[in-house]
Amino acid sequence: MQQNRNVERRTILKAAGASLAVAGLGATATACGGGSDSADGTVTIRYAWWGAEDRAEKIKKTIALFEKKYPKIKVKTDFQPYTDFWKKFNTQASGGNPPDVFQNAIGFLRKYDAKNVLLDLSEQVKAGNLSMEGFRAGLDKFGEIDGKLLGVPVGSNSMSLVIDQPVYTKAGVKPEQGWTWDDFDAAMKKIRDKTGRAGDSGMYGVMYLYDLYLRQNGKAFFTEDSLGFTEADLKQWWSKAEKGLEEGLYADPKKVAQIKPKSAVSAELAGGEFTWDNFTLRYSSEGKSEYRLAPIPTTDGKKTGQYLGSLMLSASKRTQHPKEVAQFIDFMVHEPEVAKIMGYDRGVPATQAQYDAFTPTDEVNKAIAAYEESLVEAGVLEPITPHPNGADICEAAFLRIGEELAMGKRSVDDAVKQFFTESKTALGS
Amino acid sequence: MGTTVTHAPATESLSKDERSEPRHGPVDSPRPAALKRRGRRETLAGYLFMSPWIAGFLLLTAGPMIASLYFAFTDYNLFDPPKWIGLDNFSEMFADPRWRHSVQVTLWYVVVGTPLKLLAALGVALLLAQKRRGQAFYRAAFYAPSLIGASVSIAIVWKAIFSDDAVVDRTQKLFGVDVGGWSGDPDLIIYSLVALTVWQFGAPMVIFLAGLKQVPRELYEAAEVDGAGKLRRFWNITLPMISPVLFFNVLLETIHSFQIFSSAYIVGGGAGGNSCGPADGSMVYTCYLYVQGFENSRMGLASAMAWMLLVAVALVTAVLFWSQKRWVHYEEGA
Repeated sequence: MQQNRNVERRTILKAAGASLAVAGLGATATACGGGSDSADGTVTIRYAWWGAEDRAEKIKKTIALFEKKYPKIKVKTDFQPYTDFWKKFNTQASGGNPPDVFQNAIGFLRKYDAKNVLLDLSEQVKAGNLSMEGFRAGLDKFGEIDGKLLGVPVGSNSMSLVIDQPVYTKAGVKPEQGWTWDDFDAAMKKIRDKTGRAGDSGMYGVMYLYDLYLRQNGKAFFTEDSLGFTEADLKQWWSKAEKGLEEGLYADPKKVAQIKPKSAVSAELAGGEFTWDNFTLRYSSEGKSEYRLAPIPTTDGKKTGQYLGSLMLSASKRTQHPKEVAQFIDFMVHEPEVAKIMGYDRGVPATQAQYDAFTPTDEVNKAIAAYEESLVEAGVLEPITPHPNGADICEAAFLRIGEELAMGKRSVDDAVKQFFTESKTALGS
Repeated sequence: MGTTVTHAPATESLSKDERSEPRHGPVDSPRPAALKRRGRRETLAGYLFMSPWIAGFLLLTAGPMIASLYFAFTDYNLFDPPKWIGLDNFSEMFADPRWRHSVQVTLWYVVVGTPLKLLAALGVALLLAQKRRGQAFYRAAFYAPSLIGASVSIAIVWKAIFSDDAVVDRTQKLFGVDVGGWSGDPDLIIYSLVALTVWQFGAPMVIFLAGLKQVPRELYEAAEVDGAGKLRRFWNITLPMISPVLFFNVLLETIHSFQIFSSAYIVGGGAGGNSCGPADGSMVYTCYLYVQGFENSRMGLASAMAWMLLVAVALVTAVLFWSQKRWVHYEEGA
């Protein structure tokens, strides 16, 4: 026994010594210059993204593939839920230590470009490390701002109405492309009356839906540097919301707040909600019902105002390895095997090669593919609205003030005034 | 020794051996060189042992504090260099309705939560001060929540307890009260935070216990002989005798309450939600500070808010110290 323990202790000490030495080496490597090159030319890049466990599993597999093809590049990952992701990113980026490559979205491009955080990837395209060929439906232009390539789309998605199919069937509502807001309002009443469930989870706070509504009426949420609508417009939108809440058409906002981050649809508080089409996947893993996609209601029976949104990969301006980062992004958006692993998790794959590589077999993924195809067929897709620097803060304010209105903490007039005050500060106008 | 006895015997009168002995009691200069050297060495050793703390203080406390004081007068978004704007942050703060709301929420929390917590702590301390079986177990059990209190996990459990259709909601329905869960209700969520802080009464309780042990038995015996009832004895003996401990607890808990953050942040927001609770219902001061600093990238404004909080806490502390003359009773020589 005694003997054994001694041996054990010695082994442990040795192991500790070894790891200390490694740590020491690591420290030296970092100290002399930047990053993480080791003697044999292996380069380590850091990749940060937002999401949850299920996405983490898939991303781990894609990285294993990448490291097999590029044995000299190691990828370290880091992930958080959406809001926490940006807090951490802000802190890292301001400390001069942002991840080399990270998931990004349209609302943040101008913001971080203005703060000098994003690498212009067009240099790497010229150098041949990154190809911008073969993107679907003009997505290759998606991450371009003022002539700079600040992000490369990995997948596209579109706003939609995700519905609890059995609830809609029970209420006898069959939404079709081109249905109007009047049809939608009637459907909300039918669902409430026939199923006892609220029709929607609270559309009045969804910035991207309000953007579509504005676009249907010839306006938009944002212009290049400001808000694209008036206080009267918002007053009309939120007055309708207040009325709907009183009539029980929308779910109880207190309950919706409580079940976060779970969605009101999968928690069976509402028959449907407006969100990105690829969220159907998340709801299916959260809830017990069948979730399907319905088209966006229109004002004139035709125009939905929809555009493709996208998740992107961006690189940090401070990265020591722009070439390797470009190769990584190139692999992630073009490699067919990656699409087979990721599926529609981050939206429908952005390149044709990846789109062709993944054929959905389950109902939910099939429904997403069919929905995106129906949008192309109906010809409703338009170019995206600009997102000025500060758009992310406007979105958070819109959501929060919408909730305050729903909970009866603000009158419509007060809420509208507050939103315009905060937005003007955020947009600096 | 001789007839002249002073507090510090003159060094000349000591033998050589005695001189090199370490001495207790004050020593008059001039000291011999050997002692001086020893003193210097000891001082050096002292500083050496303190150096980790001093370095930590300078690097992690004093440095950031000076930086934050500077940022408080600048427009600083973390990325661009700070721009001096004088008192603009402060005037913006006072004009901001969300800021005023956060002050209200915090004051309410301090004024309601702190006395309740101290009452609970004192009440349980009175029960546990008596000798009974399993006393050690009870003391440990009541103290446990404070040990784990700062942890995120407790706040997550708390959120689960007070959410819709959970324990609290179901229990109140049994009594015919149907207001739904508390954590989604902008008016009720703050009560769940008060409940959380009251539940963590362990630390002040231990201090009360120590205080109660110090009260001389004879006082109670004398009072009993004079026919004083239980309430009377508590009011006229216990309370005045433990008032220094009470003062200490009031001071510490008030300061703690002003600084509430993690529980509010987690019960109110958690992943994906508004960081400050439904409709800002649990938006305590530090929560809004965090939102401004890390969500809106307005570090200058956040620094100004932090210094405002410091000034406020200092003021409240000063008022408490001033008030102690009126109600804190110190034993002679204690």
